[in-house]
Amino acid sequence: MNFISVDDHVVEAPDLWTRRLSFQRWGARIPHLESASDGSQEWIVDGVRVPLLGNGSVGALMRDPLASPRTWAEVPRAAYDPALRLRALDDDGVDYSVLYPAVAGVAGETFARVIKDPELELACVQAYNDWLIEEWAGLNSRFIAQCLVPLTPVAAAVGELRRAVGRGHRGLIFPAVPSMVRESAPHINDPCYDPIWRACEELAVPVCFHAGCAPQLQLPHYPGYSSRLNVAFEALTRPVSCVLPLTNLLLSQILERFPALKVVFGESALGWLGFDLETTEWFFATYALADQIAYKLGPIQAFRRQCFAVAWYDGNLGVLERACEFPGVENLLWSTNFPLAISSWPNSREQRAAVAAKLPPDQRDRIFWSNAAALYHLG
Amino acid sequence: MQLQFNVIDADSHAQVHKDAFTSRMSAARFGERIPHLIETDEGHQRWIVNGKRVSDSGVSNCPAVMDDHFRTRQPQRWEEVPAPVYDPLARLRVMDEDGVDVEVLFPNPPIQGAAFLQGDAEFELACVRAYNDAMFEWRRASDRYVPLGLIPYLSGAAVAAAEVERIAQLGMRGIDVVAEPGIVAHPGQIFLSSFAEEAAHIPHFSDPGWDPLWAACQANAISIHWHVNGQLPLPVPRWPAYTLGQNRVLVPGPICTMMAQFIPHLLFSGVLERFPRLQWVLTETGMGFIQYIVEACDREWERMRLWSEGILTRPSELLRRQLYGTVWYEQNGIKSRAVLGCDRIMFQVDYPHNTSIYPRTHQAIETVLAGLPQAEREAILWRNAARLYGLQISE
Repeated sequence: MNFISVDDHVVEAPDLWTRRLSFQRWGARIPHLESASDGSQEWIVDGVRVPLLGNGSVGALMRDPLASPRTWAEVPRAAYDPALRLRALDDDGVDYSVLYPAVAGVAGETFARVIKDPELELACVQAYNDWLIEEWAGLNSRFIAQCLVPLTPVAAAVGELRRAVGRGHRGLIFPAVPSMVRESAPHINDPCYDPIWRACEELAVPVCFHAGCAPQLQLPHYPGYSSRLNVAFEALTRPVSCVLPLTNLLLSQILERFPALKVVFGESALGWLGFDLETTEWFFATYALADQIAYKLGPIQAFRRQCFAVAWYDGNLGVLERACEFPGVENLLWSTNFPLAISSWPNSREQRAAVAAKLPPDQRDRIFWSNAAALYHLG
Repeated sequence: MQLQFNVIDADSHAQVHKDAFTSRMSAARFGERIPHLIETDEGHQRWIVNGKRVSDSGVSNCPAVMDDHFRTRQPQRWEEVPAPVYDPLARLRVMDEDGVDVEVLFPNPPIQGAAFLQGDAEFELACVRAYNDAMFEWRRASDRYVPLGLIPYLSGAAVAAAEVERIAQLGMRGIDVVAEPGIVAHPGQIFLSSFAEEAAHIPHFSDPGWDPLWAACQANAISIHWHVNGQLPLPVPRWPAYTLGQNRVLVPGPICTMMAQFIPHLLFSGVLERFPRLQWVLTETGMGFIQYIVEACDREWERMRLWSEGILTRPSELLRRQLYGTVWYEQNGIKSRAVLGCDRIMFQVDYPHNTSIYPRTHQAIETVLAGLPQAEREAILWRNAARLYGLQISE
């Protein structure tokens, strides 16, 4: 084994939901593509407009990184065609590719955000989950499927999680800040979510909080910037928006109550991680929090025991080497982020070779595949 | 001046005197709006600015000197405020005990987060001027203080620039600002903050209308400071079961990394290129995340060809030329000092806040700077600050 990419994105087929949901039952509420008067296409999800690619992108496959497909016909095929995707994996020397959505949200949040009807929300996530097995993971075991679940009610989420894992899903994608995705959703610390964490533990699947479920966590764009600057601004601010959900998780004691639960922060990047852990730990000590509240684990301990950050680039400033020391190589994963604009494709091999040259072999192996293999029970 | 301890503290806080505003602002013009202490029904005192209470926790932010292990106690009446918190001469004795030569001074109540931003433009300007004059008294009392000034936001860039000129003439060497004046954090958030209904109309940081302000700062060698998160808002969903202590621990990591999100504005606005000598300082923000944004900005610059947007110099070069960071507890963060450069990191004590390393500053120094070569220690502990603030140190 050489490399497991833990954070790649599929682009959902235009007929994914229309083929699987009952038109008789749901009619025009089924997620489908529509053309606007200018010829561009977008999704209509229960009457709500969602961009053609959700909040994902296919920038790595476009000639111009600023360009975005306006219609389905313009979407590069490797974004949605599993056979072509396999070739992209071969280009980049990827043994396994762990999948996140695009239209359903890079953090799996679209349906939770726009659909108010719990039955329709369940039907939509079930359709996605089935499609991912039938068209991708079932086709080739190099594709690692991760499931979506309804945000609420929790019983439906647990039911779908069990069903999906039974069909072959190996991870749960869940919005990191439910109350920012849906106003009525309880805070992530609410014990009402416990059955989900318990089920993940029991089924030995990680819960994956991908950056970007809540744009409120990012500074707003400046209207005076060009679209080029705004695209760059988004790429810079989205990873670091993981800080709040991560810090909260470490203090919430969820990890203490579910000691076998593994948590992945997709698209987190690494450079801010040591700072947040050291800072949170220092304040934890300065305010003598463990004197007030019966913590079993301090923030750094909790992170090291159960959490993972995801990297996809190295800028030669020593960030990766320092992260290997603190918090430690056991908590680091790597991805190609295919086919997002930030992807290392098609130069992932060279990128990894440059990284490998700087790290001892055991650290390199952990980051590039053995941590992920343990997490997803592969090879 | 000569240093006795070889420590310049790049961020501590001075409590402005309870009469600082009433003694300087026109009662005829502003009456009860002038910042002052009032008596509450509970027998406490509270700061009122423009007729509104600006803090509910006490009259000063100084829990490190209130004999409280948990560092949550604030003085509830002016009489309870220890003299070194507001008296520059009493403070000198504390600095001697703690082994600090010079303090760079940031605000304390009633100034929430580096700005007044209350009331109308005329009122705000009067408050700012009174504050700046009151703070300059610390410098008059001793050359061991480098008080920072504030600027007004409601009067536009030219008025802010004029205040910069005025305080530069007095001899001040820096200002403390909000990062993004148009979206100043609101009091509903966990972290104490300024507020203003008018803030929404203040131009964005990246608006070139601010250029006269940056020009005045550059011309007068006034460095620009953001404190903690520069008042950038972060909506933290409230978990009612968290104690005050848990909320205090939850917030710092996330709010400080908001500055990582802001730094791209510094680059994308073109301010660094248009004002290449202007220095920007992250204080009490921590330094460990700076590596994230330097690395990521370089990557985006290359990937998105941002030189085509007028950012002609590589971001890391610009930031190494114009950004400073500060450190006070980061044994791990200090390891990333080469990213900005050892000549761009300063040490801070944060007296008398609950986060301060006082009264064990030298122990903290030994812990955080353990193993650093002497030249790097000196740079971080005093040379960088001496250079930035124009202090003539005789060795």
